[in-house]
Amino acid sequence: MADIAIVVNGQPRSVNVENDTPLLWILRDELMLTGTKYGCGVGVCGACTVLQGDRAVRSCQITAADAAGKRFTTIEGLSSDRNHPLQRAWLEEDVSQCGYCQAGMLLTASALLKAKPNATDSDIDAALDQHVCRCGTYPRIRRAIHRVVRGAP
Amino acid sequence: MTSRRDFVRYGALSGSALILGIRRTGDAVTVYKAPARFAPNAWIAIDETGRTVLAIGKQEMGQGVRTSLAMILADELDADWSAIELVQASPGPLFTRLNTGGSWSIGGSWRPLREAGAAARAMLIAAAAAKWGVDASACTSDTGAVVHNASGRRLRYGELVPAAARLTVPTNARAKTAAERRIVGTRRARIDAPHIVDGSAKYGIDTRIPGMLVATIVRPPVPGATIAAIDSTATRRVRGVGAVQRLSSGVAVVATNTWAALKGRAALTVQWNEGENRGFNSADHWKTLQAGLGEAGVITRSVGSPRSATPNAKIVEARYDYPFAAHAPVEPMNCVAHVHDGRCEVWVPTQAPNRVQRDVARLLGMQPEAVHVTPTLIGGGFGRRLAVDYALEAAELSRAIAAPVQVLWTREDDMRHGHFQNASLHQMFGAIDQSGRPLAWRHKKVASLHNLSGPPTADDLKDPVAYFQDSMWGAYDIPYAFPAIETSYVRVDVPYRIGPWRAVYSPPSTFARECFVDELAQAAAADPLEFRLSLLRDAEETVKAGGLTIDRARLRRVLELVRERSGWGTPLPAGRGRGVACNVYDGETHLAYVAEVSLPNQRRNGYLPFTVHRVTCAVDCGVVINPLGIEQQVESGVIWALSNMKGEITFKDGRVEQGTYRDFPVVRMSEAPVIETHIVPSHGEQPFGMGEPSVPPLIPAVLNALYAATGRRIRRLPVLATDLA
Repeated sequence: MADIAIVVNGQPRSVNVENDTPLLWILRDELMLTGTKYGCGVGVCGACTVLQGDRAVRSCQITAADAAGKRFTTIEGLSSDRNHPLQRAWLEEDVSQCGYCQAGMLLTASALLKAKPNATDSDIDAALDQHVCRCGTYPRIRRAIHRVVRGAP
Repeated sequence: MTSRRDFVRYGALSGSALILGIRRTGDAVTVYKAPARFAPNAWIAIDETGRTVLAIGKQEMGQGVRTSLAMILADELDADWSAIELVQASPGPLFTRLNTGGSWSIGGSWRPLREAGAAARAMLIAAAAAKWGVDASACTSDTGAVVHNASGRRLRYGELVPAAARLTVPTNARAKTAAERRIVGTRRARIDAPHIVDGSAKYGIDTRIPGMLVATIVRPPVPGATIAAIDSTATRRVRGVGAVQRLSSGVAVVATNTWAALKGRAALTVQWNEGENRGFNSADHWKTLQAGLGEAGVITRSVGSPRSATPNAKIVEARYDYPFAAHAPVEPMNCVAHVHDGRCEVWVPTQAPNRVQRDVARLLGMQPEAVHVTPTLIGGGFGRRLAVDYALEAAELSRAIAAPVQVLWTREDDMRHGHFQNASLHQMFGAIDQSGRPLAWRHKKVASLHNLSGPPTADDLKDPVAYFQDSMWGAYDIPYAFPAIETSYVRVDVPYRIGPWRAVYSPPSTFARECFVDELAQAAAADPLEFRLSLLRDAEETVKAGGLTIDRARLRRVLELVRERSGWGTPLPAGRGRGVACNVYDGETHLAYVAEVSLPNQRRNGYLPFTVHRVTCAVDCGVVINPLGIEQQVESGVIWALSNMKGEITFKDGRVEQGTYRDFPVVRMSEAPVIETHIVPSHGEQPFGMGEPSVPPLIPAVLNALYAATGRRIRRLPVLATDLA
């Protein structure tokens, strides 16, 4: 067991966990930030995606030891009051169905637009292909991202 | 959670103006003075402040039912849509039909919810009329208020609560006519969406209760395997691991946190007596299915003389193969149970709360009312969560360890120990005359029955035709007018659990039927869409198949609409092809697709070996509740079915070979086509479901398009690159 210090959603947090504990379970079990979802545990579904700095990462693939000292943003910290342009676009396009995968989708989309504010369809494909949605919300996710790229309200 | 418990108690005392409420928070029970409340039935409660709470009696798994059922209730009540609150009903005497499947939520709730809303609205109007000393017929309702038409006086529902609560609930309140509806038929965004985009929506897996432990379970690698030996030495060294507990379904590793439970499980050694199923493998099973083709089976529908020879007939025969598939919802199975003080509390993402209550009570030897089930949001259901296995595990484990516990399945557990859509073979026979007119149609399905509650009982088989018809949706209810039809079912049992799938039994049969009708169109040298129309035109407008009524006129209308909107028959870029397919789902929703496909310039590993550019849908689901919800369910069904063309579950040495989305691939963003939905205006006063009807005709539309694009008939799923090489 070790005391691990990380910054989550701008707040310094300290947890006492095993060094190999994935960030996913630190967030969900220790910090009670359950917006980050477990889907596969092996980095192929994208449900557990969080931001490390401006980069989208799989929280199931980052151990406590690797996470120590780093800054993360979860869906709970994407904005205060759902005012991130992507969250607004998600509501405008009524993207979600069951909603379970959507936190990961939103965080990857936000990292994409931070890196490429004029993201094209192929940029969207490349970034979002790392995510699984069984409800099939892909067409609406694409529209929501385009909406933000266009600067539409 | 507190409000839900309160609500049920109010509901049980419906019609009375209550002043005392009972609130239970954890173990503490408090009695408090509540605002007066008007709760004329189980579905609606309005308090003096105007707070309007609607109960939702079906389970939300993405199909939008919390939004659409609320729309029906709120419209009939004339509630203020922006101000309503929802509460998810728990099983109890007032809520006995919470189980959610078969696309029956909307159709089955339409009448009771409208009656509930209409009765409440009539009482509020009567209360206002009495206050004003006017006739109720001189008043109307408008967005959470009653209005006296002549004077313009207005009373909000909250203000009418004490008076309305003293009135007798009418049994014959008039529901709104179509013209009077203000919410039903309009586009309404998903009511839970704001909580989804900020991460605050709570799914089953997010349940956290005081003192809760977490468990993962090692299950038999082969069905029927029994435990020979357990070595938990290494497991017990994992910090955080507590009990290692044998259960009916395997061995549970219980820990204080999820990671310890996962590590502890990985460290556990269980030796199994693998038993008689250890030799089961897919190749042998396909041979068994093929052998079944030689059996007569049970005739599920017979029209005319399907076996009489016709001189000069053109005969077409083909076999279609459909694989095993897993639901693989992104939220794995999970359940929190707390057995204490002679009762059991359950928090569970389930499609079947009533079944959870019944079966947990049976397992624990309790009365059903001692089991309190809190249904949560569901991270994908698709039929998987009609089975309650994971809830039983949690209840059994909580009792054994005397603690609240969350049972969490891993992704691998989910893919290997679910219940599958079963593999099936479809032997098709068609005969047309020299001018392409239909003569005979035969469809034999060799497959496995749902076996979640064991093999069919003698009682089930009292009416074998009806029983096997259920397993042949999409086959025996063929809408086309052949003068001779025979459909039959040959049963082959498998040692794996087989259960409901999205669109239940329909997708495999509809795949075979709609691809094969294209083959007949080809034999008749006819346009596939016009050929279908001709098979629906020169015959009775409706036809009975088992308990279903197929409306050929409605099916023609969706085909004609999809023909127009897809640009059917207009030129396409080189290499692209169009395909059509249609279906009447369970005698209810009528739906047609046109798909446009081509082969990609560059094949990508892990992706479909073809590109679906565009899918056009025309649908008639009766009264339209929420056009936006219909569009979403079409998009969802298209992409769900496309995944079915991509992955399969296979068996080797009795074991499922797949475990994650890596080896059971599903459709990703770059594979999703552009999807357009066109809704046929309602011609009736009954709405039908949309969660499933969008699934069955998609695969044949795509395969028929692939034929148009490439000249290759693909008759087996999943579609492999080698099929198109």
